[in-house]
Amino acid sequence: MTEQDRNPKLVSNDIQAIIDDFNASRWRTLELEYHGVKLFLSKDIGAAPNWSTSESTSPAVTKGGAPPSQSLAAPADIPAARGALEDGQVIVSAPSLGTFYRSPKPGAPPFIQIGDDVEAETELCLIEVMKLFTTLRAGVKGKVTEILIEDGVMVENDQPLFVIDTNG
Amino acid sequence: MDDPKVSHPRLFIANRGEIALRIIRAAHSLGIETVLGVSMADKDSVAAREAERSVVLGPAASRDSYLNLNLVVHAAISTGCTHIHPGYGFLSERPDFAELCAAEGLVFVGPRPQTVRAVGDKISAKAVADAAKVPLTPGSGKLNSLKHALEVADEIGYPVITKASAGGGGRGMLVAYDADALRRVYDEASTTAREAFGDDTLFLEVYVERARHLEVQLFGDGQGRAVHFGERDCSIQRRYQKMIEEAPADILGDDLRSELRAAAVNLLASIDYLNAGTVEFLYDEGRQKFYFMEVNARIQVEHPVSEQISSHDLIKLQLGLATGTIMLPEQEAISLKGHAIEARILAEDTNRNFIPSPGKITRWVPATGPGVRVDSAVQEGSTVPPYYDSMIAKLIVSGDDRTHAVDRMSEALKRFEVEGIATNIPLLRAIVDHPDFRENSISTKWLENTLLPGFQAERAN
Repeated sequence: MTEQDRNPKLVSNDIQAIIDDFNASRWRTLELEYHGVKLFLSKDIGAAPNWSTSESTSPAVTKGGAPPSQSLAAPADIPAARGALEDGQVIVSAPSLGTFYRSPKPGAPPFIQIGDDVEAETELCLIEVMKLFTTLRAGVKGKVTEILIEDGVMVENDQPLFVIDTNG
Repeated sequence: MDDPKVSHPRLFIANRGEIALRIIRAAHSLGIETVLGVSMADKDSVAAREAERSVVLGPAASRDSYLNLNLVVHAAISTGCTHIHPGYGFLSERPDFAELCAAEGLVFVGPRPQTVRAVGDKISAKAVADAAKVPLTPGSGKLNSLKHALEVADEIGYPVITKASAGGGGRGMLVAYDADALRRVYDEASTTAREAFGDDTLFLEVYVERARHLEVQLFGDGQGRAVHFGERDCSIQRRYQKMIEEAPADILGDDLRSELRAAAVNLLASIDYLNAGTVEFLYDEGRQKFYFMEVNARIQVEHPVSEQISSHDLIKLQLGLATGTIMLPEQEAISLKGHAIEARILAEDTNRNFIPSPGKITRWVPATGPGVRVDSAVQEGSTVPPYYDSMIAKLIVSGDDRTHAVDRMSEALKRFEVEGIATNIPLLRAIVDHPDFRENSISTKWLENTLLPGFQAERAN
């Protein structure tokens, strides 16, 4: 039996159930950490998780997204079918649709930069779905060689976000 | 002020399959831009190709994509949509979804959230119907004696069925066709109830021997005016799933038809209903009476038969009402003509107890010809994914009258060819060519009790 079997990961269903329970409760905020997934729920706009930093500003929440007048064309650079990966290169993709944030909050330095060394547990970005922030971790040890998405952009499920070189 | 909701509406479609494609095409005909939310399994679907943009919500499983209301609303906002159409199934009847859309400033193409909530709950829906004087299934409260039971039965009329107040499961349920029979079964029913549930209290309901599922297609303007687009007969069902629907319901005489339509109009008008809705009734053929069942606060699978007899595009009307570009027509402007029948083409193997039959469609020749319409989102080479409902197409035919329409359906089903996956087309052919169906001598139990046993026995040999 592997570590994962004994400690099953949170799947989006579980998270949905937690959100439902939270919504039905009288709690204002909820923080949860479970096997690499950090969950922060709040009924207060502008609330921030304790782990984000010591400052009091909140993670970026772009309500309303892009104005309707924007072009409907999908971003041209979705490398969904990126072929040519070299041996040892790994793509980290979005676990669901959501807004991609490189920093824990506006103005703060990004979680990682190109060239940074990462461990499996290193936080790479936040994916936000209706003010619910999910931290995405590298999952592998290596060096970040590409960041494929701009900060604050909506990403789709399975969309490649980072390339990590695990050689060396 | 230039309101983008009016000047540049952009529609998010929170559904898949034929209804997603149908909504996309209706939106385009009105100059409305479309964004489709898809799962990983539907990335390359026909609907995804026809929408101006499609976005992948999540993995194939519905709960991680189409049923995740936060993902759907986030996607709609992030792509600059102003409106959201839920289709049928999935999130369409979830009050929390309609509420979330409203809270985020998205126009939900459908009734108001409080309406979705009020009619979605069976008990509150009945209260709404009762208040609008729509007949409910007649029955008694708790009975305290045989004498009481006889009085109630006289009032509601025979046949009646006894039911145990404390429980269900068929125990304590006995049918009586007259007073003598009720005297005989009353003691037996209360004894059974006492033994099964420790409580011998009974109540009485009308017993519907031959039931039909009738429903009225309606639209409301949200300000107390509702209009109907005729009624449908959806009595060909298997396990409460409709398989064939038609409009109008030929079983009704003119007076009863007017009463049924008026009851449905009154119900929706009484709650200031907005956009498309259906009121479903159980029709008791013996008593020639209809009873309220439920309100469906959404567009339904079988809406095309009402379109065919009314010459109104109901999806366009939904979108037009929601964007403020089309007014709800007056009742007099909705003229009903002819007869239409819809058959649901399912990817199910009727030889193997209706198990789903996903896979690649290697040959797809939908029927064509006068009075034939096919609503579908598959084509030759399409793959039917195993994750969702098995309906892959709707075959709709129109004729001058029911006989004409049945003839056309029979011909169309003969010409409809699908290979690569199993479908229910052989069963649909058997239904449509059966004398009972041709003579419109059917009930909601007819398919399961009369046709299927012989159909399945024949195929097992």
